[in-house]
Amino acid sequence: MPTDEKDRERQRFRHIRRMILVRVLLLPFLVVMVVFGTVAYYFGTNLKSRVGSELARIASDHGRLIEQFLAERTANLNFAAASHSLEELRGDGRLSAVLRDLQGSSPAFFDLGVFDEQGNHVAYVGPYDLTGKNYAESAWFRSVREKGVYVSDVFLGYRKLPHFVISVKREYGTSPPWYLRAAIDTYFFNDLVESVRVGKTGEAYLINASGMFQTRRRSGGSLMEVDPDRAPYRSQDGGIVSFVAKDGSGTRYVNATARLRPTGWLLVVRQEAREAYAPLYRVWVIGISIILAGGGVVVLMAFLLASSQARQLVLSAREKRQLGNQLIMAGKFAELGEMSVGIAHEINNPLQVMKAEQTLMGDILSELEADGSENKENLAMIRDSVGQLGIQIDRCKQITQGLLSFSRKNDAVQKTIDLASFIPEVIRMVEQKARVANVRICFEPDTYIPELFSDPSQLQQVLLNLLNNALYALKDREEGEIRITAGCEEGSVKISVADNGCGIDPEFIDRIFLPFFTTKPVGKGTGLGLSTIYGIVERLGGQILVSSEKDAGAVFTLRLPIPTKARVRGSSLEETPRRA
Amino acid sequence: MSHVRLLLVDDEERFLATTRILLEKRGVENVRTAANGQDALEILGKGGVDVVVLDVKMPGMDGVEVLKRVKQEHPLVEVIMLTGHGSVESAVDGLKLGAFDYVMKPVEIPVLLEKIEEACGKRRAHEEKIRAAKVNEIISHPMAVFSDSAED
Repeated sequence: MPTDEKDRERQRFRHIRRMILVRVLLLPFLVVMVVFGTVAYYFGTNLKSRVGSELARIASDHGRLIEQFLAERTANLNFAAASHSLEELRGDGRLSAVLRDLQGSSPAFFDLGVFDEQGNHVAYVGPYDLTGKNYAESAWFRSVREKGVYVSDVFLGYRKLPHFVISVKREYGTSPPWYLRAAIDTYFFNDLVESVRVGKTGEAYLINASGMFQTRRRSGGSLMEVDPDRAPYRSQDGGIVSFVAKDGSGTRYVNATARLRPTGWLLVVRQEAREAYAPLYRVWVIGISIILAGGGVVVLMAFLLASSQARQLVLSAREKRQLGNQLIMAGKFAELGEMSVGIAHEINNPLQVMKAEQTLMGDILSELEADGSENKENLAMIRDSVGQLGIQIDRCKQITQGLLSFSRKNDAVQKTIDLASFIPEVIRMVEQKARVANVRICFEPDTYIPELFSDPSQLQQVLLNLLNNALYALKDREEGEIRITAGCEEGSVKISVADNGCGIDPEFIDRIFLPFFTTKPVGKGTGLGLSTIYGIVERLGGQILVSSEKDAGAVFTLRLPIPTKARVRGSSLEETPRRA
Repeated sequence: MSHVRLLLVDDEERFLATTRILLEKRGVENVRTAANGQDALEILGKGGVDVVVLDVKMPGMDGVEVLKRVKQEHPLVEVIMLTGHGSVESAVDGLKLGAFDYVMKPVEIPVLLEKIEEACGKRRAHEEKIRAAKVNEIISHPMAVFSDSAED
């Protein structure tokens, strides 16, 4: 097959395979992606909502717990204030006993102080020396004097350590009011607030209205520092808000916030989105892995299937095209056959007249010579011309015979032929010529070659013509070789004659079997050799195929039918003509 | 060969004339010619023809048709079919219908002469057989000669 034809077939093959692949893969791929996308979307939405709800629930519970803690500590102080008078608490040792009682209720109480109406620290029990200090101008004092109860933000105060205080006002009858104040152990309070555990990255902390940490933050943030991530925090009075936001370092967090009532602090419960949404990421990874792995298998299978289908389609297209070409050729040959018969007959008639005239001229010349004509030189020239006429008439006769052997529906004499001995006999006929041309002819028969039932003289002509053509193709080669094989293939006898000669030009290959088609120089060939072969092989019920590559050689392959048993048995029919 | 009485039938008149001269030069003295089947049958009707060289393809009545008529009307006359290659099938049909042989155009005169001689030999042999048979019959039934003489 010519190279551009091969390229066209390769392109067609790729095109068909691509078409099949697109049709086979695109729709399922879209469906899978839509299903996966839908599932992942709903799963993700559901998961996010659940994570948000869970954090909100935790924030709500924890917020209540902290409120409860503060309320209880306030109640403890109120009880202590109500159950003592200012004078009692001023007395030596009493305040210490009260602190011990309070610490019995909650170890969070760190120290305890008593203040008179002017804000003077009249009694104190704790690790610092604060007695005698005046707090009249302190914000907490003003606030507790006004509201009766006050829980401060975390501050340094005289202690120079972060802490917060709960203070209560004691008023009874007409006596001047006094105040009881306790500092809360920040470590204890921190532990309480931090005790929330949500996965590995979950944490809880408090910030005040200014965004200052009221408890530490595990992921970074000390007491009284301003929370750098506070900007996106949202809050709703009396309600819980959950949202997703990035912190300063770009890490995404799922947050839930709750505003605590007595202090206005904001409880933040948060967890890294990466961890909170891990199941969603797992679903994505698993889903995409399954799609990729399954898709890979599907693509591979589809590819193999599409390749095989495309190959089949290209093959059948090629067969169809070849069949079409064969039909066209067969029609062409049939027409040519009819035409050849007509031409040969019409030329043979005048040739017959010319032959007769030429013979008569010869006779007359002989008589003139016998009569002893004087101009012997002229007579010799006429004799030469008449002889030349005879030669040319014979040449015309050979052409008409060649034409007729292409188209002749004459009778084949069928005999049993053993190719293993028949082919070497034919080779011997051209052996001398091959030796002179320095061409090696080798015969490679298969171990089993079925016997043929065919016309030996016609088959001999076919093989001789092929060998002569091969020898002509090898005339300029230094190491010419003709390789003849014979064997059995697909129910027919296959004989091939291959040479490593100049090959056949791809543009001529469709025409080489046509009568008078020749690439030989004028006078070197009639162009009837291959057409004769074609005619004979058709008559013998066979087929002749050619394949060639320019400058690499040509292979002519004959396929001849293997005789049925009946025909072999009927070898008594030998010499019986069989009409092709 | 001088004893052969030959009839050449072909639509090529020049071929007829030349071949006649050539054959006469080679000792076939009694050569008649016909340019079509009808003329040929007329000549044959007059008798005195041993061998007919008959072109297969002729306008009007073709060679095979003429052959049939010849074999019907003059069974002893031997016919050599002359054909261009294209009509070998017709020539083979001719053989089946009783033609002596066929030759392909363009034929060499010596080849044609040889065939004519063979055909003539066959004709002579037939005639000899018939004559012998008649002699035998006369010897065994001498009186029959007188009663059947009118039919001869």
